Amino acid sequence: MERKTLVTRSMVALILISIAMVVSPAVNSLPTGVGGTGIQSSGCNCHSAVPTATVDITVDGLPEEYNASETYTVTVSFSGGPVESGINSGGFNLWASGGEFSVLDATVESRAPAEVTHTEAGNDYRTWTVEWIAPSHGRDVDFIVHVNSVNGDGANSGDEWNRYDLTVAGSLGPGLDPADPFTVLATLIIISGLLLTITILYGFYRTNPDVFDWEHLAPWIADWLTTTDHKKIGTLYFVQGLFFLGVGGILAMMIRLQLAGPDMGFISQDQYNSFFTLHGTTMIFLAAMPLINGFANWIVPLQIGAPDLALPRINALSFWLQPFAALLIFTGVFSGQGADTGWTGYAPYIVSTGAHTGVTMWVAGQIMLVASSTLTGINFLTTMAVMRAEGMGWMQMPLFTWSILVANLMLFLSIPAFGVGLIQVYLDRTISTAFYDIAAGGDPLLWSHLFWYFGHPEVYVVIVPAFGVISEVLATSARRSIFGYKSMVLAMAGIGIVAFIVYGHHMFTSGMSPNLRFITMLTTMLVAVPTGVKIFNWLKTLHGGSLVYRTHTLWALGFLVTFTLGGISGMFFPSITMDAHLHETYFVVAHFHYVLVGGTVFGFFAAIYYWYPKMTGRMLDEKLGTLHFLTAFVTYNGIFWPMHRLGVIGMPRRTHTYFITTEDFTALPEWAADWNMFISVCAFLFFFSNFILVANMLISLVRGQKAPADPWGGWSFEWMTASPPPTPSFDWNNLPVLKDANEHIANEPSAIGRWFNRLMVPEDQEEVSH
Amino acid sequence: MAHYKILGKDPYWMNFYGLMLLTLIEVAAVGLDLSDFAASYDTTEKVVTLWILTIIAIPKFIMIAAIFMHLYGDADSKILTLTALFPAFFIIIMVLFIGLTHPDATTGLPDWCRPGTYGL
Amino acid sequence: MSDHDDHHAPQPWGPHDWHHGAPHNSFSPLFLSMGVAISLFGLAAAWDYGTYNPGHIPTILLGLLVVGFSMFIWWRQDISFDGHYDPISTGTPFRGIQVRKVATWVFLMSEMMVFTSLFSTYMRYRLGIENCGTVFERGMFDPVTNPTGWQEGVAVTCFEPASHLIASSWWHLAPGAVNTFALILSSFTVVQALRYAKMPDLDEEARRKKVYRYLASTWCLAVLFLTLKMVEWFVGFYVPEISFIGLHEHDIVSLVDEGYTINADHYQHHSYIDEATGAHMVANIQVSASLFYVTTGTHGAHVAGGIIGLTYMTFKAWKGLYTPANAVSIEYFGLYWHFVDLIWVLVFPFFYLY
Repeated sequence: MERKTLVTRSMVALILISIAMVVSPAVNSLPTGVGGTGIQSSGCNCHSAVPTATVDITVDGLPEEYNASETYTVTVSFSGGPVESGINSGGFNLWASGGEFSVLDATVESRAPAEVTHTEAGNDYRTWTVEWIAPSHGRDVDFIVHVNSVNGDGANSGDEWNRYDLTVAGSLGPGLDPADPFTVLATLIIISGLLLTITILYGFYRTNPDVFDWEHLAPWIADWLTTTDHKKIGTLYFVQGLFFLGVGGILAMMIRLQLAGPDMGFISQDQYNSFFTLHGTTMIFLAAMPLINGFANWIVPLQIGAPDLALPRINALSFWLQPFAALLIFTGVFSGQGADTGWTGYAPYIVSTGAHTGVTMWVAGQIMLVASSTLTGINFLTTMAVMRAEGMGWMQMPLFTWSILVANLMLFLSIPAFGVGLIQVYLDRTISTAFYDIAAGGDPLLWSHLFWYFGHPEVYVVIVPAFGVISEVLATSARRSIFGYKSMVLAMAGIGIVAFIVYGHHMFTSGMSPNLRFITMLTTMLVAVPTGVKIFNWLKTLHGGSLVYRTHTLWALGFLVTFTLGGISGMFFPSITMDAHLHETYFVVAHFHYVLVGGTVFGFFAAIYYWYPKMTGRMLDEKLGTLHFLTAFVTYNGIFWPMHRLGVIGMPRRTHTYFITTEDFTALPEWAADWNMFISVCAFLFFFSNFILVANMLISLVRGQKAPADPWGGWSFEWMTASPPPTPSFDWNNLPVLKDANEHIANEPSAIGRWFNRLMVPEDQEEVSH
Repeated sequence: MAHYKILGKDPYWMNFYGLMLLTLIEVAAVGLDLSDFAASYDTTEKVVTLWILTIIAIPKFIMIAAIFMHLYGDADSKILTLTALFPAFFIIIMVLFIGLTHPDATTGLPDWCRPGTYGL
Repeated sequence: MSDHDDHHAPQPWGPHDWHHGAPHNSFSPLFLSMGVAISLFGLAAAWDYGTYNPGHIPTILLGLLVVGFSMFIWWRQDISFDGHYDPISTGTPFRGIQVRKVATWVFLMSEMMVFTSLFSTYMRYRLGIENCGTVFERGMFDPVTNPTGWQEGVAVTCFEPASHLIASSWWHLAPGAVNTFALILSSFTVVQALRYAKMPDLDEEARRKKVYRYLASTWCLAVLFLTLKMVEWFVGFYVPEISFIGLHEHDIVSLVDEGYTINADHYQHHSYIDEATGAHMVANIQVSASLFYVTTGTHGAHVAGGIIGLTYMTFKAWKGLYTPANAVSIEYFGLYWHFVDLIWVLVFPFFYLY
């Protein structure tokens, strides 16, 4: 009986999914294009480079001062310019800052509620009539009229155009100025900084409430500034990562505010470029990477039984390079000259004088981040290779440590390519070398190659540690060891190697070598294999275990769903033809947010709930945690799921607005606006839901239950120290020994493994065995 | 530290002499007029020079790595050589994908990629 | 965690007590990052697409000063290192090897990728852009007989390897060739310094002298390397008249004075003259010049970094602080230094000779 219901339900779900799959692509696929606001700033410059003063525009029917919600019949006409030919003699575009136009005849069509232009039929006239329904708010309304005086020869030469601005007063006078996005951004960042400062001071106050004065604060701060202890540096990484996660979130919210409706005027295209550049850079380099490093710093030495990292001072250097790099990256933002190249910084725009001056500082900051990542990579690889506890071979390392190993290996082998590219760009922009100067024979595609040689491993660098976290969390929650430990390790190593030979799929539409395109198409499809192995291993772990639903378990289960969905949407891109259609649309945005937020961020939320007791010695509140999971999970899917559909119908990314009509070639259908509003609402809900986590962390730090050494029943080394662990984490003279780890090494090494062992055992060891 | 000898002499000194000798040959290969030699092999002088330079760079490379950097003859030489060779795969990939490809999508399409050929 | 059981007073400015073994606080990372940020900021502000703005030079100098200060702290903490605390690897496959030696090799792995990136760039451009010599050999433009030829006064975009100038005569090659020998010699002196520092049966004063002298000569050779590089790039030199060995008095002009610069969009090599008409071929060689200066410059920056490290090590050796117990420190530096030498083995043929 039970089984029957299950089958029925599955069938219904399958049918629903099939219907959805049939219905979704049933919309016309439209090529992407630019919005109509270009006309406002640069005019009808296809007809001639500059406006002609002799083209005289008349606008009749508008009052001096309008009455709210009244309808006016407006006539736009002009004289002058080339002689009227009767056919194709003129065109116009009328834009108003308020109210709505309604079309009266076939000569006029609506581009947006408050923008009209001529139709194909209207092209033959020099007078057009339209109705304007005045807004109800009573503020002044600006009108911008463009007209083309066309000679009718079918070509653009000999045509002229002009622009005319007028203002119709409202009963309440001029409207309120729209908020300046930079002021909003600066204010919010300053507020976040103040809150952070207060939190830090409160943290100091809690260390010893009796003495809250400068004499004690200064050495306390100096200790944090100079520390080389891996746990303290991990905490510093968390503070930085969470702060910039907030900043990146603020940027995202402002972007969503702009995109909530069509043709919004909050952020201009120029500012929008800066905003999405900073959002990407901040989230990847200043939020995700520090959070990874935070967990790596805290957990890896504990898991492998090392007292500290191999090079503690280098570790401190890797951290401190980051906040200073952040300062450089944000240089020029608030004066409107922030980097506007996208986080990919494509050449030749990045070296052109047209790019903002802040780009140079952005590049400088990135160079410092490259240095930081390289040092981190060296430090962690060395630590994991040399400082594992007695008895802990490679195949006994916990999976989180393995994931950090693979991530750092990828990172530090790939990031030199990015560093070299950045130095080339930096020199191009300062001392004017010519690496990407097309006139001198430079090849902009070289930048794409160098960037993506790093960039693709980089996106795996941020997801692989999440794999590690999920493996730990699921195994502990299912109260068993992870299913297929060895295949998990091999899958991660496979992902690490494949990452380097797939990067070409980011450049399918760039005109790169067709052979390379073909190779990377095949290798990209290959990525699904190791990732699939991991997913099925996790499922099998759940299947064989008995699950305990803690908050971190919920996040891990959420990760399984969202990451798999993100992976499936990713499988559309390796197909070159599919990629050509989906390239540069919101489908891409949906895909990488599904894997980066649904993968990385969910993984880290799981990790926070999982290791917070170990780090602070206090338990987090499970009720608040569950609330956080439910709100965040639902709203998160509300943000990114509809984006797939918007992408398929051709909504372009990196564009500050979009237009709604059924007629316009570049515009989207009307329901796209509804979905965008839905996405924006969900985005704000998601943003605010994360305050539950912040509140939970702060409240639990003060009032949380005392955590035992091993609150979840985990069995890796970190659970055997106290919560919080002492400094140094393990005694130098009495390091821990891994005695029984047979569950991970049930199998003898294979032939290749034996050969490898022989190579890797130092000579003196060999002599002993003889 | 070296626990071995080259031709009965100190390895560092011998290595130093050898490197000096090879570099002299390199400089000579550039300075000498090899055009006749090149012509006899139906190629240009530049190609001959490039071959000589590449071939000499390899033993120089190995000599420095093996003897000065102790990748030969020490207890830890084997594993450190493996460490040093680890990036080889990634280096090959980068040279193949970045160094040796061209942005020739429009002009350099292979035959099997052109219209009309895939029908067989 | 204010109550951790660390009785060792943190000395973020001063010398470490290496016998303690626990993490040591240090101001150096903070100041180093700050200095690097200030320098990069100043550099970006002082040059804007080749426009030079001297008002920001003090910013760069301030940044470098902060970096120098941080290095001073770093070394002040390190100079007391006597080999007592040198962690040894416990994990296979590196068991028994010093941790920092492994770290040096891992660092060299990333350095390999840095130079691979530069060489990939070089290969891509060298193979992707036509060589200037090939263009010149096609002869002058003629609409009928030679439509692909070059024209007087119209710059051709082509690849002009620096070796066309450098390998054109023994004298032009001299700085590069001497540099090659200097680097090999300095690799050798570092190895000798390590050998004498490790030699257990040497008395202290003899060891101090040997190690100090070998390190100092390495330092001198490295400085010689950079000096000759500057001579070759910017200064040029003078060859006197020595008649009995057949030397004639003439000037060797530096690369920059020959017009081989990153801004050379109308570069003309002295051999690019059509014999029949006397017309000059001019070329836009900015890409090839950028490649030459940046690749060899990156190598030069590594040498400069080595000089900074050597300065400290020579000082420490002069104080007689290297003993067989901590001599491996010289080996870690030596690995880096040999690597720089290795890169030169590749850079020299492909940028100076070919």
